[in-house]
Amino acid sequence: MTALIEARGVSKRFRQHKRFPGLLGAFQTLVTSEYTEVSAVSDIGFDIAAGEAVGYLGPNGAGKSTMIKMMTGILVPSAGTLSVLGRTPHLERMANAREIGVVFGQRSQLWWDLPVIDSFTLHQRIYDIPEARYADNLKRFSTLLDLTPFLDRAVRQLSLGQRMRAEIVMSLLHDPKILFLDEPTIGLDVVAKDAVRKFLAEINRERGVTIILTTHDLQDIETICPRLIMVDHSRLIFDGELRRLRAALGSARRLTLEFSADPGPLPLSTATLTSDEGLRKHYLLEREDVSLVQVLGEVGGDRGLKDVALHEPDIEEVIRTFYQRRNAAAAVS
Amino acid sequence: MLHRLSILPLLVQMFVKSQMEYRGAFWLDRLAQIVSYGAVLLTIWILLQKFQLLGGWNWPELALLFSFQLLAYAMGASVSFTQLRDLEELVRLGTIDTLLTKPINTWAYLIFSGLNIGYAGHIILAIPVLVWALIAAQVNWSVGTALFFVFSLLSATMVTGSVITMIGATALIWVRSNHLFSIFFGFWELTRYPLNIFPSGIQVVMLTVVPLAYISAVPVAVLLGKPVPLLGDFAAPVALLAGPVLVLIAIAHWRYALSRYQGAGG
Repeated sequence: MTALIEARGVSKRFRQHKRFPGLLGAFQTLVTSEYTEVSAVSDIGFDIAAGEAVGYLGPNGAGKSTMIKMMTGILVPSAGTLSVLGRTPHLERMANAREIGVVFGQRSQLWWDLPVIDSFTLHQRIYDIPEARYADNLKRFSTLLDLTPFLDRAVRQLSLGQRMRAEIVMSLLHDPKILFLDEPTIGLDVVAKDAVRKFLAEINRERGVTIILTTHDLQDIETICPRLIMVDHSRLIFDGELRRLRAALGSARRLTLEFSADPGPLPLSTATLTSDEGLRKHYLLEREDVSLVQVLGEVGGDRGLKDVALHEPDIEEVIRTFYQRRNAAAAVS
Repeated sequence: MLHRLSILPLLVQMFVKSQMEYRGAFWLDRLAQIVSYGAVLLTIWILLQKFQLLGGWNWPELALLFSFQLLAYAMGASVSFTQLRDLEELVRLGTIDTLLTKPINTWAYLIFSGLNIGYAGHIILAIPVLVWALIAAQVNWSVGTALFFVFSLLSATMVTGSVITMIGATALIWVRSNHLFSIFFGFWELTRYPLNIFPSGIQVVMLTVVPLAYISAVPVAVLLGKPVPLLGDFAAPVALLAGPVLVLIAIAHWRYALSRYQGAGG
């Protein structure tokens, strides 16, 4: 598989006017020409293959948006090499623009005072989309995201969820090979988030559109992105499958067994009993290779087992463990 | 390339359609403009009732200067001013990023998606005054002067658009550009008057670093056969060349500013 995106030692430093605190400091800021360098992205490298869906995750100010802006050619990297679709993004920004779609969660690309459909028509003209393909894409995506009822309404009259759905559809009308999304679900309600996530997962799966998505919301990653790239303080700290992160951290699954009559203490070899409420017993499944069937096999059919609940560790938990361990390791070294 | 240009009228059409969402306010704004510029013209007229001449220019000549400047400014600013004044806001909010990811020239998109039809007010006032002044003032009409009039007006339009573009583009580097626009309008007000009434320091500035003399005082002086300070016989060719040359400089400056763009944060 050839990589659609290749990043090698990519860094971005911003020069910022040195600021001094306080009122006197404000005057000092005005007259001095001292600069401080801020690293937004430091020595980051990865390959992204066609058809992947990658979640780019990190706390505020970790350099997520900066990386997206470099990949889309808006910003010039300070060091390293970056290749998107075989081109250097900032040198061939316009050529790349035809083959990528970009959605900025907090920056609308729709014309505020005009009906949604007008922005789409302009998009068709700018990207030279043949009429038949445009009509086909518009119909398909509008149906999937339920846009049809408000295509003729002015953008300013739409809810945030409706607007975001329109933004996403617009970014896909020209069949981009890569779709970049910077915080696409920010500020959306649960229903809208869900619709957007399902749609993106489907586009990735069925159309093979490569998706790169930055987010704060781990649920986005859970639904859309099998692969996770984590950054913190401008550096790459994890790149791999979400599943692998879970396994590496040993975040155990939790199992609850409910009985119709108390079977008494019930220690198992496949799972560790953590609490016993009599009728209800809680276990930890620490080993990834143990399946639920094996555990239930060990419990046996004659104990009056009434109900079973298995809880995957949610992604928030996994990530929290990851950062905690990292910080602890940093404190020791 | 040519078929790409066909997008530009569509952008204009969309912008006009957007503006018409607020059409009542639109016409009220135009009326306000005509009244405020009319008041400036009236002030000049009142002055001339008392002094007869200003720097050797009589009332019809000053009316020609005023209307030429207003028309060149309106045409140049309609393809630059509001769009580039707002560039500061686009940079601050990061909206410019959405334009940079489109396969279309960013400047062209910015200009035509905001082509300011609001300058209709300036033009409605400028054209009748210009026509009257061209008849009333002593212009030695020939094919040469007629051609000079047309092309110097075009050049003046280009000077306006270029200078505004250069000022606006600084927002890409420094995020702020409005302080430079204040300086621009300070000098721009002076272009309603003949260049020779100002101290030589200001004359030099307006012919070089802030080349606004070319949007009115220089071409109109040439048209009326009046001497132009510092430029002398070169005034006519310089007035014609100023626009195209500044356009080239503005393009280079725009590209440079875009390459220096750092985003406003995030």
